[in-house]
Formats: sequence, C-alpha cells, structure tokens
Amino acid sequence: MSKPKVAFFDFASCEGCQIEFTNYGDKAFLELLNHVDVVEFREAMSETTTEPIDIALIEGSFTREADRARLEDIRRRAKIVIAYGQCAATGGINALKNHQNDYLPCVYGKDAGMPHLASQKALPIDAAIKVDYKAFGCPMNKYEVLQIISHLVHGKEPVIPDYPVCVECKRRETVCRFAEGDHCMGQVARAGCDAPCPAAGIPCEACRGFVDHPNIPALKKVLVERAGFSKARAESKANMFTANQLELKP
Amino acid sequence: MNHQCHWTEIENIFMPREATIVRTATPTPMEKHFTLKMADGKPMTFEPGQIVEASLFGYGEIPLGFASSPTRENTFDLVVRTVGRVSSAVNKLEKGQSIFIRGPLGKGFDLNKLRGKDVLIVAGGIGLCPTRSLIQYIMDRRTEFKRFVLFYGTRDPKQQLFLEDLVAWRASKDVEYFETVDKGDPSWKGNVGVITTLFPKVQITPETRVVICGPPVMFRFVIRELDKLGIKRENIFVDLERRMKCAVGKCGHCQINDKYVCVDGPVFAFSDIQGLEEAI
Amino acid sequence: MTALFIKDKEFHDFVAALVGATPVYAPVAKRSLFAFERLVSADALRLDYDVTILPPKKLFFPPAQELLKFTGGKFTASVHPEEKVLFGVHFYDVKAIDQTDQLFAEKNYDVNYMAHRQATTIVASNIQKVSRRAFFGTVGQEVHPKGHDAYLTKIGTGYVFETFTPKGEALTKHGNFEPATDTQRAEVVKVNAAVLEQCPEKLTHKSAEIATKVRQAFKNEELWRECAVDCFSCGTCNTVCPTCYCFDVQDTWNVDQKSGSRTRYWDACLTESFATISAGGGHVENFREERGERFRHRIMRKASYLNPKLGGPACVGCGRCSSQCTADIADPVRIINKIMAL
Repeated sequence: MSKPKVAFFDFASCEGCQIEFTNYGDKAFLELLNHVDVVEFREAMSETTTEPIDIALIEGSFTREADRARLEDIRRRAKIVIAYGQCAATGGINALKNHQNDYLPCVYGKDAGMPHLASQKALPIDAAIKVDYKAFGCPMNKYEVLQIISHLVHGKEPVIPDYPVCVECKRRETVCRFAEGDHCMGQVARAGCDAPCPAAGIPCEACRGFVDHPNIPALKKVLVERAGFSKARAESKANMFTANQLELKP
Repeated sequence: MNHQCHWTEIENIFMPREATIVRTATPTPMEKHFTLKMADGKPMTFEPGQIVEASLFGYGEIPLGFASSPTRENTFDLVVRTVGRVSSAVNKLEKGQSIFIRGPLGKGFDLNKLRGKDVLIVAGGIGLCPTRSLIQYIMDRRTEFKRFVLFYGTRDPKQQLFLEDLVAWRASKDVEYFETVDKGDPSWKGNVGVITTLFPKVQITPETRVVICGPPVMFRFVIRELDKLGIKRENIFVDLERRMKCAVGKCGHCQINDKYVCVDGPVFAFSDIQGLEEAI
Repeated sequence: MTALFIKDKEFHDFVAALVGATPVYAPVAKRSLFAFERLVSADALRLDYDVTILPPKKLFFPPAQELLKFTGGKFTASVHPEEKVLFGVHFYDVKAIDQTDQLFAEKNYDVNYMAHRQATTIVASNIQKVSRRAFFGTVGQEVHPKGHDAYLTKIGTGYVFETFTPKGEALTKHGNFEPATDTQRAEVVKVNAAVLEQCPEKLTHKSAEIATKVRQAFKNEELWRECAVDCFSCGTCNTVCPTCYCFDVQDTWNVDQKSGSRTRYWDACLTESFATISAGGGHVENFREERGERFRHRIMRKASYLNPKLGGPACVGCGRCSSQCTADIADPVRIINKIMAL
C-alpha cells in the first residue's frame, strides 16, 4: 500500500481515542504523516471525504439503528475497517447500559420508567458491519495503533495479543494488586496496553475486554476469596467493559 | 560460571544470511516454490529433512523444510504455504529479491539407515515439501537404495504440489508412485480416499524403511497400517511439525514432552518418540 | 577461594564503593515487595529481602531483548552487554542461573544471553528471611549452587565474604576486609544449613522418585484437568520462574517504516496459543489446547523432563509461582506431594 488514505469516524463515544491519536508528540506524528494520508479527522482538520479510503478508524459503539446506514457506507468505501477503541471493539463502557437494571432506579429514582430512557443496546460496530481488526482499549493504546498502522502500511496483518494483562505486569515486575490485598481483573483482560494501571497501583478494569477464552468462573472465585468481594459485586465487576463479551459470544 | 568460551568467539545463532531468489513457481494458489542461492555464493550444505528459519525483516521468521535434495548443487528449494504473516509476505517475493535464512537446522533423515533398503515415503498435503528433498536424493542416487515406493495424498486434486514432478514420477521406472485425494472432482481419474487406502495397492515388505510426513492426524492411521505389515518401529521415520520461534532449541514452543522438534528432530525414528504422549 | 570478614559498619562503605565503581543490581524494596534493581545508593540495599518478584534472569534474558536491528535488507546484531555486579542473590536463584547458563550455552550457544551473563559478577548472599511459600530446603537437594563469584553471609556483627573466582576476588579491593576466623567460617556453614530447615513448605520425596512418579502420572487426565480448573492461562507461574526461559520473537518497524528491530519477549507455555500453528485457510492446530495439558507441561518440565540434563529438577523452590498465582493453583509442592501420595 503506498501512502494509504486514513479516515476517522465516530459514533457513540467520548472521542477520547481520536484525541489520543494526536498525542504522539510532534516528531513521531509528523513522521507518521509521511507514511499515511489523513483525509478525514474532525479532531484536527475540517476537510471530510466521500471518496474511497484505505483504512477507516471507527470510534464509538453502535447504539442506534439509524447509524447502520452510515456504518455501511464507511464499510463500502474502506478497504480496511478498524474498530478503533473499546466502544467500537466490544461496546466498551457504553455497554454498561445494556444491563440497566443496575442503575436506572439508582440514578433516576421514581422517573426510572420514563420512555426516553429505553434505548437500543450499545453494541460493537461488528454487530452492523464486518470489521477487519480491533484496536482495543479505553482509550486505545496509541503505540499499539502505531504498530497496527505500520503493519498495514507493509501489508502485514497486525499482531494483537490474546494473552492476559498479567503477562505484561510480570514483564514490568509490577507488584500484583492481590499481593497488596486489592483486586484486579488482569488475569482475564486482554493485554497490549503494557499494563500501566497496576503499575500505578490501580486494579485492571479489563478496559481492553477479555482474552478470547477468559476463565470467568475462576475470576469470580478469586474476587470473592482473595479480594473479599460479595458474590454480587464479583458478578458485576466482571461486566464493566465486557458486558457484551459475556452475553454476545460471537 | 562453567561455560568458558567467550561469547565474542561464537557465531550469533540469530543472525540470518541473505539468499537470492533465482526462480519462483506457483504450484497452487496457496503455495509458492522458491529456488534460492546464498548471496555470498557459498553452497548450502544440508541433509534431506533438515530445516531453515526463513525471514523477512519486519515480518518475522518461519521454519521450513528443504524441498530439494542436496545433490542438486548451488541452489536449494523452499516451498511456502500462505498461512500467516511471514508466509504471506514471502509469497509476494519474486526472482532477484532476497529471503533471509538461518540454517540448516535440526536433524534430517539418517540416510545410512535407508541406504541398501526398500524405502516407502508416505506424504500428505504440504508434507510432500520436506520429503521432496529425500525423494530427489533417492532419485539422484537411485542405485544406493532398493525398491522405492511413494504415497502422496491431498485433500483434493487442486492441492497437489510439484505438478511437473508428479508427471515425471507417474512415468518413472525409478519410483512406484501412488496418489490419492480425499475428495475427487470431475477431472480426477485416480484413487479417492484417505492415504491409507493406498496400502492394499502394493506389496510392502516388513523390512521396508518408511518415512511419514503430513498433517498430525495422518501419522496415527499410517502407523496402524505399518503395524499390520509388521514393520518395526525403529524403521519408521516421522517428520514432525510444531510451532517454532528460534529453531535452535531455546524458545520452547516446539517441545514435545522432553524433546525439542527443532534440534532433536524434526525427523525422528518412531521408536524414539512412541513413548512420548504429545508426539502424535 | 578465600574467606574474609567485614564489620557491619564497614559493609555499608563497601557497598557504597561498589556502587561508585560499577553498576550494581541488588534487591531493593518495591512497594510491599522486593525487586532486583540498579542500586543507586548503599542505603537502598535490602539483604533482608525474602524473595524478589522476578528472579535475576531478567538481567541476562530481559523481558524484551532486541536480537537485531534492520534497515531495509541490512541488519546488525544487538548484543551490547553491560559489565555489572549482581549482588545479594539467594542460593536458589544461583542454582537457577546455573541451569539457564547450561541451557542457553548447550548445543546452539545463545550469544544474547551469554554476553550479558559473562559481563556479570555474581555475589550471592545468605537468606535472612524465608518467604512464605518457599520450599528450597527440600527440592533438588542433590544439586548444589555453583557459578557465582562470591558468597556473602550475615553473621553476628558483620558479613563473611567468600570468593570463588578472580572476578569475586577483585571486588574485595572496595572494602576493608580482614581474614575470616575459623569460628566465623563455622558460623557461615551453620547459618546456611539452618535456613534449609525453615521453609514453610516441604516436598515429601526425593527428586529421583518425584521425577519418575510425576512422569508416570502423565496420562492421569482427570488429575491435570482438576488441577487446572481455576487456571487463567496467564503464564504468571512461567514468567516469574527463575528456570523458565521460553520466548516469542516479533519484528516491528520504527515510525520511519524502513528500519526496525527483531525482538524476543518472554513467553509462557501456560498461555493459550503457545503451541498453536497456522494451518492455512484460517485453521489452526493447537498442540496443547486444554488448560490441563498446559498445566501438566509445566509441572513435567519442572519435575521430570530436564532432570537427566540438569542432574536434578528444573525447580529451585523459590516459591514465586506459588505466591504469585492469583488463583493459587501453581504451587509445585501441593501438586507433587499429591501425586506422590496417589
């Protein structure tokens, strides 16, 4: 691929993953622009395109049927579609609303039954269109995205880890959250982020979703037995970024 | 520490050597056949059954068996099936371009155990590539071996490799060649059925030396047939495939129980691995 | 070999002088645990550590080790060892280093490991505090620690510093040492023998019996499946193990898209795709698909497979896998004793 045309699109999201793309620092970012042609990116430019593109980076989850046509149009125009960030990859944090019994009464009290609160499930974009690759994470890891783009520039399929965050914590020699009486979900969370949270003393929330075959029963057991969670909390904890992965095993 | 030689005196086993592509062919849409020559002009000295790590910088390395005989001097052949990142990239290369090679690595066929004997080679699918090295060797030095029988099975006729070789083998008096496909098509006039359906077609003596290479599932069924024929297990040689990253006995991926396929194999006498539960 | 003595208050100066003269890697506190890190001052040294999160293998075989750099079709090796002192290594880790020395040097000599290893002077130290899952007292007793250059033992009011090699000997110029007395030397033997009795966990059998019986348990599918029910396939038991050295190799491009590097990364045979190959058309073949099969492979490797080569088990009883497995299923003592009791 010679200087591929890259375009960003967004659906239900905070657009933080797109902002993150501008955080490489001037030198690396300008160097990257020598190798890709950004043709639509509303965080940094006003131009848009209706032309064919090589790589579509789609941020956000698919939450309205009305969005399907726009997703299909992008798919038609793009050689490669990347679900960019966790909302697009698995539904991400938006999928919390998919089990809304959890919070509706808590947030809205007696108004919990108002009709406009009922909305479609927050789904990954591959519920609407074929996705070629997924850049996981909330936000996505910008260095991983750089590698994904770099691989695609060379016509190589990107390498996306299917091992858990524990591997990266150990490579960094991070003190395990469990060693300090805390909890963590790194055992089932997909790596690729270089495990910054546990290194800073914060439990992994599995913001990149689960590995392909997470051992969920063991996770719940460990959260109860070692972290002292109630059974109910252990259940809901495993749902934060991953509700769709538990419910919608493709 | 105990290992006295200094690291600077020893060749770095992870450094490849450049090889230039002198010819390519595309036997099937999935495979590409490369004939290569070392860029420094030095010959590649190897035994049939040995392997190389072939790489392209930026894409990575893959293990491959030699697909030609060392008796064909100056060049060597590799056949690459498009299955992953490296093979896809390698298979876009053309004549004049380079592939980077580490090797030869591992243990090939012990030719002394085959010389002067009847030899049967059972090759399934892409398993014909590493055995082609041995087949060519036997054909080139035909008088060193007694009877030579070759079984070749593929999923369907389109999967057949080395089509020119097949034409030559079908006509040759030097090899008793039998072929089969799991599933035929209208053009296929030959045998249909798994590779073991070839056994009733030919008399195999109990003293025959047998070489097997193919998909994991094939080994078990072929060995069952060989047991029926009374062939001793030390006379059966298997050429195994595993995941390999280093191919020099370090990275651990190819381990089968306590053996490393990359250094202890990939060719094993079946008697040496029949006790290994993870082998076949 | 010489045995010297240095008083507590002069020991601090010795370490400070070493740190001033050469890079020193030693146990230091890391939050509530310990790690081998570059020592910035003698005050940070924690010879009272129980066990470090990672074993010192990381200094010879880093979690990510560049093998070569490339630009187009040109490439160069990336072996740039740093002369250094590895200070305060417990004997179980010395045994493990000796094993990885052998394994990286045998057959195909691994320059990437050996260069770093040969650039290192190893000062072992006695175990002042036993970690809560240690079992070094009962594992591989027939294998003795070797390959270190010096051995430091805390006794009474100071340290005995035994040297075994010229590299170890050379370090003594940095401190105010005096010859050790016979009493002090006897104390060293006593202190190092006593710690072997203090492990909270114990194997019930000798290595040779274990190697045979564990190997025979290979086909006990039920056992292995049960052992691994709670396994996350996270590979922690591998990555924290001082005798595990499996790796993956990946190529990456730099942002210029022309140059890049080939790097090896710690890999783990417990992770799901460790033994998976692509078979074409999207098909894969995983030679160890079940958790139980992967779990078994590790135990076999630690207790049986490598014994003929190493003269004992590829396990040194550090207890890192036991204490760092969040599901607490990795403990070799529990599994091996269970098999021995069958």
